[in-house]
Amino acid sequence: MKAYYGRQLVQAKVNKVPENVISSAAFIGNTCQRCGQNVHGKLPNDHFYCRACLALGRVSSLDVLLSLPEPNDFDGKDILSWTGQLTPQQKVVGDELLETLSRSREHLVWAVTGAGKTEMLFPVIHQALSQKYRVAIVSPRVDVILELAPRLQQAFSQTDMVVLHGAQTETYRYTSLVLATTHQMLRFKEAFDLLIVDEVDSFPYAGDHMLAYAVKNARKINSSVIYLSATPTKVLQQQVKRHSLTTSYLPLRFHQHLLPVLKTAIVGPWRKKLPLKFLRQINQFNQTKRRFLIFVPKVSDLVGVYQNIRKHFPEISGDHVYAGDPKRQEKVQNMRNKKIQYLVTTTILERGVTFPGIDVLILGADEKIFSENALVQIAGRVGRNKDRPTGLVKAYVQHTNFKVIAAQRQIKQMNKRGRQLGGRV
Amino acid sequence: MNCQLCQTNSNHRLSLLQTFNVIKNQKKQLCQTCELTFTLITVGCLGCGRQQKTNQLCHDCYRWQQTGKKLLNHTALYQYNDAMRQFMQQYKFNGDYDLRVIFNRVLNQQINTLNADIIVPIPVSEHTMKTRGFNQTIGLIEGMAYEHLLKVSAGQKSHQSQFNRKIRMMRKQPFSMMKQISLEGKEILLVDDVYTTGNTLYHAAELLYECGAQNVRSISLSR
Repeated sequence: MKAYYGRQLVQAKVNKVPENVISSAAFIGNTCQRCGQNVHGKLPNDHFYCRACLALGRVSSLDVLLSLPEPNDFDGKDILSWTGQLTPQQKVVGDELLETLSRSREHLVWAVTGAGKTEMLFPVIHQALSQKYRVAIVSPRVDVILELAPRLQQAFSQTDMVVLHGAQTETYRYTSLVLATTHQMLRFKEAFDLLIVDEVDSFPYAGDHMLAYAVKNARKINSSVIYLSATPTKVLQQQVKRHSLTTSYLPLRFHQHLLPVLKTAIVGPWRKKLPLKFLRQINQFNQTKRRFLIFVPKVSDLVGVYQNIRKHFPEISGDHVYAGDPKRQEKVQNMRNKKIQYLVTTTILERGVTFPGIDVLILGADEKIFSENALVQIAGRVGRNKDRPTGLVKAYVQHTNFKVIAAQRQIKQMNKRGRQLGGRV
Repeated sequence: MNCQLCQTNSNHRLSLLQTFNVIKNQKKQLCQTCELTFTLITVGCLGCGRQQKTNQLCHDCYRWQQTGKKLLNHTALYQYNDAMRQFMQQYKFNGDYDLRVIFNRVLNQQINTLNADIIVPIPVSEHTMKTRGFNQTIGLIEGMAYEHLLKVSAGQKSHQSQFNRKIRMMRKQPFSMMKQISLEGKEILLVDDVYTTGNTLYHAAELLYECGAQNVRSISLSR
């Protein structure tokens, strides 16, 4: 029975509905009741199914949705086992978040990359859990969720939590704390009193009506939502300007150092031959034994660039990773555990991941896939450690374009504000 | 055009002759990358179409011959590799009926070359029809004229794909005829989506031979 609390599960009409569980129609009119979309695939005999949320199991006109209202059946005994200290700036944001919870409103935390967003959330999550609230932390990126999970488990060691994403092996349990990708919210209905959406501006959440509907559907009518982002989308920024969304602004990293500024270098056609500037840089990394990430625009560039580097520097151990890589998790873990010195990657590692003390090189930063926000995020991978708060972010471009300059300007702007709060280089 | 499987958009430019319909423009369903993951069967076993170096009978077909069955002379189009398994997973078990168009054309062409009198798709159980909502085989051969001759007997609702070979081979006749008709002197072509042990098709063929069919052959998308 607990498996249905606040859930929204699909079952065929022919199968018997379990006792006391409420079943509702899968389609009202033409709209899928799980994802709110109107994209149909046809089945024989005038039946149809929803193609928008097909990846989470099919909803068709042959099915019903099963659900039970969320009763908040928790004991509320929650212990915050995190012993760290918030900086004064983080403390201000933390208090604003507590106010958000008590007022049941929507709130945006606009904090630079590496500001310590996760730590700022601990007080508000703790408060919510001890009020027997059900809390979900969601993100469009599975890497973000996977990195967050152990940190949260450590901070709330007494609390049972479940991690949900497309490739998970763990089965669903009824828990007060849920970590999930935004897609998984389609399986919930009016379940959460506090919903935290991390990296709201990232693909696939930004601009996706289905996921926005999923998040809206998964929160209770009287609930709070906290959006976290370092680079909010235009839509969110407009909401802030119109004062329809309250905001906390934090332009300084937790270690009080400024963001590393994106540097550019103009190179020739790097797809044909790796530029000398680039190779010299790697040679320098090789001598100083520094670890680094190389971003490339396309999946098809990965192998070529990787093998070229291998040819020039056979002594450095490295790897390449992309979104559909079967060993993706393992390779990222290797990089995290310092087993390999560098990783050639696409934009999948642009956000939400922390490798301490790395430098970053971007090949072809002028290409379409690296948007202004993506470049700011990539630059934010550097200097996330107290021991090495600075680092090198170098973009190799064939032509300087407005986007790269805009990214540089955005970083400088934040640094200007950070300096006013007492940040140092 | 968007690829049906990976949704990437490949800009397919029309040539001059295609623009003016001199060369017929065949609408492609898959992108080049996805298409290459499926491997065609070039030389196959005479009995079951399994990919081999020569077209001699394979071990399985030899065993069927030993039990006194008339071989099906099965034709299969693709090898059952990882890509095909994923396709079947998506199409059959995830129920994405729109994917039927991917292989519809090639399968229909192949069926046309076999010149059968009656085409009989393997049926699905009533329970499957109410949960899945479609018969995957009929979906694949959409546009062909076929006849419903077989039905799944009541009480048979387990999926074959969850069992291993030993359990599958022990299964009793799962089908029965829709109505008793005479198939005297008819060439019949059975259609299925995947040929694994051949058990399903041989059971179906047995029933059709009992009704007087002259010859029963079979075709499947993959082997």
